[in-house]
Amino acid sequence: MSPLDRLPSDRGRASEWLEHHALVAVTLGTAVVLVVMLYLPAGVVFSEAFVDDGLPTLGHFTDVLTDPFYFGILADVFAEPLAIGTHLGSLAAWVGAVSISLSVGYPIPGLDVPVPWIGIDTPGVRKGLFGFTAYQAALSTIASVALGLPAAYVLANYEFYGRQTLRSLTILPFVLPGIMVAVGFYAMFGRTGTLNSLLGAVGLGPFAFIEANPLAIVILAHAFYNAPLVARLTVTAWEAVDARTVETARSLGASERRAFRDVVVPQLAPAVLTGALLTFIFTFMTFPIVLALGGLQLATVEVWIYDRIQQLDYAEAATLAVLETILSLGLTYAYLRYESAQTGFARAPSPPSKERLIPDLRTALSLRRLAIFGYGLVALLLFVGPMASLVVGSFTDGSGFTLRNYAFLLERQLEGASFQTQPWPAVRNSLLFGVATLLVAVPMGVVISVVTVRAGRRGRIVDTLAMLPLAVSGVVFGIGLLQGLVFGISLPGGWRFQVTGAVAIVVAHAVAAYPFVTRNVSPLLGSLDPAMVESARALGASRTRAMLDIELPLVANGIVAGAAFAFAISVGEFSSTVILASGSESYTMPVAVERYLGRRSGPAIAMGTLLLIVTAASFVVIDRVGGRYEL
Amino acid sequence: MTELRLEGVSKRYGSGEGTAALRDVDLTVRDGELFTLVGPSGCGKTTTLRTIAGFEEPTAGTVSFDGEPMTAVPPEERDVGVVFQSYGLFPHMTVAENVGYGLRFRDPPNGTSVDERIAELLELVDLEGMGDRDPDQLSGGQQQRVALARALAPAPDLLLLDEPMSALDARLRESLRRQLTRIQSTLGLTTVYVTHDQDEALAISDRLAVMNDGQIEQVATPRELYHEPATRFVAEFVGDNNVFDGTVRTRVEDGARYRVDVDGTTFELAGVPAGVDRVSFCVRPAALSRTVERNEISVAVETSEFRGESVHVYGRWQERPIVLRLEDASEDELTVGFEPEDAHIVDAW
Repeated sequence: MSPLDRLPSDRGRASEWLEHHALVAVTLGTAVVLVVMLYLPAGVVFSEAFVDDGLPTLGHFTDVLTDPFYFGILADVFAEPLAIGTHLGSLAAWVGAVSISLSVGYPIPGLDVPVPWIGIDTPGVRKGLFGFTAYQAALSTIASVALGLPAAYVLANYEFYGRQTLRSLTILPFVLPGIMVAVGFYAMFGRTGTLNSLLGAVGLGPFAFIEANPLAIVILAHAFYNAPLVARLTVTAWEAVDARTVETARSLGASERRAFRDVVVPQLAPAVLTGALLTFIFTFMTFPIVLALGGLQLATVEVWIYDRIQQLDYAEAATLAVLETILSLGLTYAYLRYESAQTGFARAPSPPSKERLIPDLRTALSLRRLAIFGYGLVALLLFVGPMASLVVGSFTDGSGFTLRNYAFLLERQLEGASFQTQPWPAVRNSLLFGVATLLVAVPMGVVISVVTVRAGRRGRIVDTLAMLPLAVSGVVFGIGLLQGLVFGISLPGGWRFQVTGAVAIVVAHAVAAYPFVTRNVSPLLGSLDPAMVESARALGASRTRAMLDIELPLVANGIVAGAAFAFAISVGEFSSTVILASGSESYTMPVAVERYLGRRSGPAIAMGTLLLIVTAASFVVIDRVGGRYEL
Repeated sequence: MTELRLEGVSKRYGSGEGTAALRDVDLTVRDGELFTLVGPSGCGKTTTLRTIAGFEEPTAGTVSFDGEPMTAVPPEERDVGVVFQSYGLFPHMTVAENVGYGLRFRDPPNGTSVDERIAELLELVDLEGMGDRDPDQLSGGQQQRVALARALAPAPDLLLLDEPMSALDARLRESLRRQLTRIQSTLGLTTVYVTHDQDEALAISDRLAVMNDGQIEQVATPRELYHEPATRFVAEFVGDNNVFDGTVRTRVEDGARYRVDVDGTTFELAGVPAGVDRVSFCVRPAALSRTVERNEISVAVETSEFRGESVHVYGRWQERPIVLRLEDASEDELTVGFEPEDAHIVDAW
C-alpha cells in the first residue's frame, strides 16, 4: 500500500490531529489549572517570605532558623554550623543527665492501685516549634503503625463474616473532615462523652481525658485517621506475599517464626514504611485536629502559621510555610521511592490462605484469639466510638432521646431566610461539587500518571512536584486563594484576574484531590507490560488511542479508586471551601457544620451525622458500581 | 512486498557519549526473506528490531522500507506486525478482539470483512473456534499463536518477531517454529526474527546476522555461517566448536598447507593466508574423528551425553575444552584427528 492511498480526508485529518494532540492538550490543561489554582496562590503567599520592605531578602529565613522558639537547640547549630565541638559537647552533657528509675505506685487518677513503673527521666530538650511538630508527628506515626498493623494482620490472615466490608470501610476515617473528627472525639472522650457515660455506669469517673492529656488525644485522633491507612497498605502487600516463598523457607529449615521474619517481613516492610511516611507527612501538616483538641498550647507549625496570619504577620507565616513545604516535599520524594519499590508487587500466584477467626469455642479462647478480640475492643473504642458517639449525640441532649436537632435542621430548611445556612443546599452542593471535582481531578491525575510513568526514573522529580498539594500547608493554600483569586490580581491594561464561587471551589478541590488519583493509577500503570501498548501502536493505534483502548481499561480499578478519593476529598474539604464559599451560596456540608457549631453544638452534630451518612452511602454506591478501590 | 534496509544505524542512550547500544549497523533484508538477528543478551538485536518497528529513534543512520525512508514515521504508520516475547496480548479483550484490533485502523486485505479476516487468521494458526476465549484461558503456545495472528491480521508489509518462542518449552518451540516458517513462506512475508538461541536461528533462517556488542559480526546463510564463521566470536557462538590459537611454522612441501604449532603439537592446516605469524582456527566437533590419522590429539573425557544418534563427548586436551560427536564412546581417553581442509581459519595476524 503506498502512502498516497492513506491520505486522510479533511475530517479524518481533524480527528487525527485531535487524536495525536489530545494527550498534549489535557496535559496543558492540567498545567494551566495547576498554575492558576496551585502555584499562583501558593506563590503569592510564599513570595512574602523573600521580600522585606519591597526588597528581596533571605533575612526572614535566618531569623526563623536561628530562633530557638522555632528550632529549639537546633537554632544554635544553624546559627554556628561550624562549631561542631560545642554542639557535641552539649549532646554529651544531655546524654549524661538521663536517668532511669523504677518506682511503684504510678498514680492512675481515681484508681488507688500500685503499678510498677519505669520512669525515664530526661532533662528537658528545647524542641522548638518545628521540633515539637516533628515530635508529635513521630508519636502519631508510631501510634498509627502500632494500631494499624494488628488490623492488617487480622484482615490478611483470618476469614470472618464482614471482612470485605470492614476492609472497604477502613477508607472512611481518612475522608472525614478534621472538624468532624474533632467533634466526634469530644463526643466520645469529652467530660460528658460516651466513654465517661459508660465508665459512670460502673461507678468510675468522670475523667477529663482531653483536658488532662491533650497531646495523647491529638495523637489518638491522628491514629484514627492514619492507622486505617497503614492497615490498608499493609493488607494489600500481605495478600500479595507468595505462600510458596514461606513454604520454601520452612522446607529449608526455618521455623514458622523465623520464616515470618526472613520472608514475610521484608515483603511487608515497604508497605509499612510507605504508610508510616504518609502518616508522618499528613500529621506533620496537621491543622484542624490540633487546633480543636489542643489549641495554641500544642501549636504545630501549621497552627502557628494560622495564628501568624491572624496577627497579620504574613512574612513570618510565609517563611514558616516555605520551610514546612520543603520538609514535606522531601518526605514525599522519599515516599515515592518506596512506592516505586513496591510496583513490582503483582497479584501473587498463590496467595496465603486465610484461617477462620472463630472455628470453634476452644480456639476462640486461645491466647492469640483473645489478643485479637482485645485489639478489636480497642479498635471499637477508638474508631467506631467517635463516629457512633456523633450519631448518638445527634439524637440526645442532656436529658435523653430527642429529635430536636433534626427538627431544627428541617425548620431551618423550610422556614429559614435565604441568607441563613440551610441543610439541603449544603448536601446538594457537596454532592455536585464532589461529582464535578471527580470529573476534573480524574483526567488531571491520570495524565500526570501517564506522563511520569513514561518518563521512568526521570519522572520522579515531576511526580514529586505534582504531589505539591499534599505538601503545601492547607492554611497557606487557603490564604493564597483569598489573596490571589478572590481579591484578584491586577493585570496590565486595567484587567483584573479573579476566580470565585462554585468554579473556584471545584477546581480547588480538584487540585487537592488529583494526587490521590495519580497515586492510585501510577503503580498500576507502571506494572503494565509495555509490549501491550507497543503492540497496539504497531497495529495502527496512535499513542492517545493506545492509552484509551489499552492502558485506561486495564487501570480502571485505580481510576475508580482515585475517583472515589477525589469525591470523598471534595465532600470533606474544609479550609479552602470556607474561604471561597464566603457568600450565601456554594457552601458545603463541612462549612455548614462549622457555621452551626458557632452557635449551637446540637444542630452541628446532626449536620455532621448527615455528612457521615452521605459519605458512607456514597462509598457503598461507589463500591457497588466500581468494585475495588485501594490506596 | 518489502525490502528492508538499515544504513549506518547507531543508537546511544543517555546524553553525550552515553552507552552505545548500536554502532553503525548496515543491513539489508530481502523481499520475502526470513532473516534472523542472533546474539547474546545485550548485543543490540532487540534494539535493532525496535528501531525497525519505530519504538526507538536511531541516534544516527536511516531505516527504509523499499527505499522509502521511515526514520520519521511513527510506529502506527509503518505497517509492521510485531510479536513480543511477552506477547502483549490485551487481557481485557477476547481472542477475536485481540486479533481484530489492528483492523480498527486498517481495512482487511482483498475486500474481506473483519469477521472473515479474524476467522481466516485463527484458522491459519490452528485456533479455530477459540475467538470467544479470554487470553488468560489459553496455554502459552496458544497465546503465542494469537499474538502471531493479531500481528498478521492487517496484512503488514513486514513481520517482526522478538524472541517469540523463548517462554515456551523445547518441544512446543520446535513445532511452533515449523508452523511459523510454513506460514511465513506461504505468505512470502519479509520477516525479521530476533533470538538468542543459535540452534533456532540456524534452523529457521534464510539468512541471519550474528550481533555482538552493538555491531554485526557476520551476515550469511546458515550453512555459510556454520562452516565458514568470519570471526572468532561467530565460531564460538554458533554451534559447538573447538577453537585453537597457533603459531605458523613452515610451509608444507606441496605448497598449499602450513605447519602450525599449538602448545608444542604441530598441525597441518589448509587455507592459511600468506605472510601471517599467528592464526586462530576452529574444527567442528563432527570433523574430529577416530578414523582420521592426521592432526591427532588425545582427549581426556570428562562427561559424555548419549543423544540417540550420536554421543556428545566433553573433554580436555592440554587444558583446552574439546567437544566431540562420536557414534559411540566409553573410553576415559581417546585419540581423534582431523583433515587439514576441515579446519577453518577465523583470525590471522
